[in-house]
Amino acid sequence: MKSCCNKKHEEIRSPLGKARGLGSSKSGFAHWWSQRITALALIPLSIWLLINIQYMFATSHVQATTWLGQPMNAVGVILFIWLSFYHALLGIEVVIQDYVPKKSSKTIGLLFARFFFVLLGFMSAYAVLQTNFGVDNISFVLDDMHDFPISSK
Amino acid sequence: MAEFTLPKNSEYKNTKGKEHKASTEAKNKKSFSVYRWSPDDDENPRLDNYEIDLDKCGPMVLDALIYIKNNIDPTLTFRRSCREGICGSCAMNIDGTNTLACTKAIDECDSKKDVQITPLPHRPVVKDLVPDLNDMYAQYASVEPWLKADSPAPQRERLQSPEDADRLNGHDGHGPAMCILCYCCTTSCPSYWWNGDKYLGPSTLLQASRWIDDTRDEATGERLDDLEDPFKLYRCHTIMNCTSTCPKGLNPAKEIANIKKKIAERQH
Ligand code: SF4
Ligand code: SF4
Ligand code: FES
Repeated sequence: MKSCCNKKHEEIRSPLGKARGLGSSKSGFAHWWSQRITALALIPLSIWLLINIQYMFATSHVQATTWLGQPMNAVGVILFIWLSFYHALLGIEVVIQDYVPKKSSKTIGLLFARFFFVLLGFMSAYAVLQTNFGVDNISFVLDDMHDFPISSK
Repeated sequence: MAEFTLPKNSEYKNTKGKEHKASTEAKNKKSFSVYRWSPDDDENPRLDNYEIDLDKCGPMVLDALIYIKNNIDPTLTFRRSCREGICGSCAMNIDGTNTLACTKAIDECDSKKDVQITPLPHRPVVKDLVPDLNDMYAQYASVEPWLKADSPAPQRERLQSPEDADRLNGHDGHGPAMCILCYCCTTSCPSYWWNGDKYLGPSTLLQASRWIDDTRDEATGERLDDLEDPFKLYRCHTIMNCTSTCPKGLNPAKEIANIKKKIAERQH
């Protein structure tokens, strides 16, 4: 802010022109609203899951997978995973928008966050579904792996 | 835009400032550390210390600055006009809080320490205590802060019920129409520090909310359209610095929430 002679070209633009910029994107509500709704929905879900996980510590692996095999429990866990990942994604997007000034890094960051959380979401949902519809007891899979020729000496 | 490097000559390097002592006869003395920077030399900013005799000076921090300018150092530069909290010119940071120098009493300041006076934060400095606020005035203009109506003007003024007027003025005189555009709030907002090139900031959004809720205005939808944007509006994360610093006791954070609420309302 010394003199006007060494100002960059864009700085010569009128303050009103800069303030109007590209105008409004007419979006932002859905993001803001979803963040609040997911937070709200996560309150009862987290309490429910925490209570159940607490019991699970005292039970065997088979009992735990049987618990997860109940349709309502499986749906609850998948819902919890999706909502918490979605909520975290929305939060991380806000942080990136807030603190990453460079346009290119910002776009890459936002895309990466999205891919990362969608991937995590699908992987976790797949794991839950597998215990339901796939191999009944995951320890079979582990046993099989021990018998697998490559893993044995 | 989050920028963590400062332009040349703008960094405060603990440069020793000038010291001015009050006369030894003075009984009621107080020291003021004042930020000094001039575009006319190549110096970095410094804090000059002025000890003054409070018996010779008015009760407010602005009186102390005027006393310094008149009696000690005429080069000290600051803005002021009304000296009664109406024009918004004398906004500056006093003891770490953005406020108006003309309504901040010297005896409200910490009695044990020197009063520290710096310009409104995170703005380019024009000189000493004068920050460059042009971008903020332009952002204010961008929300078109005037009555917009297509209905033909009546013979006399456009009418509004006393209740509707109350919403703007506030029952207690602290409604959004009482804003004096001092920008204490906007320059205290971390979101504005990082994204002030696109985020409109609390002061401008409070004004926008004032026009959205004006029952004589007919452009409410258009106004909401123009504000619904991740950067213009939704950078506000309800940190509330704005409300706690406003020297007029207004509540910009609540006005921003009002805009978000109105946008939500029209979705359902
Ligand atoms: S409430 Fe919003 S506008 Fe006020 S200081 Fe916080 S982020 Fe800024
Ligand atoms: S809301 Fe308060 S702090 Fe902000 S510009 Fe208006 S009067 Fe100043
Ligand atoms: S001089 Fe007008 S508000 Fe302080």
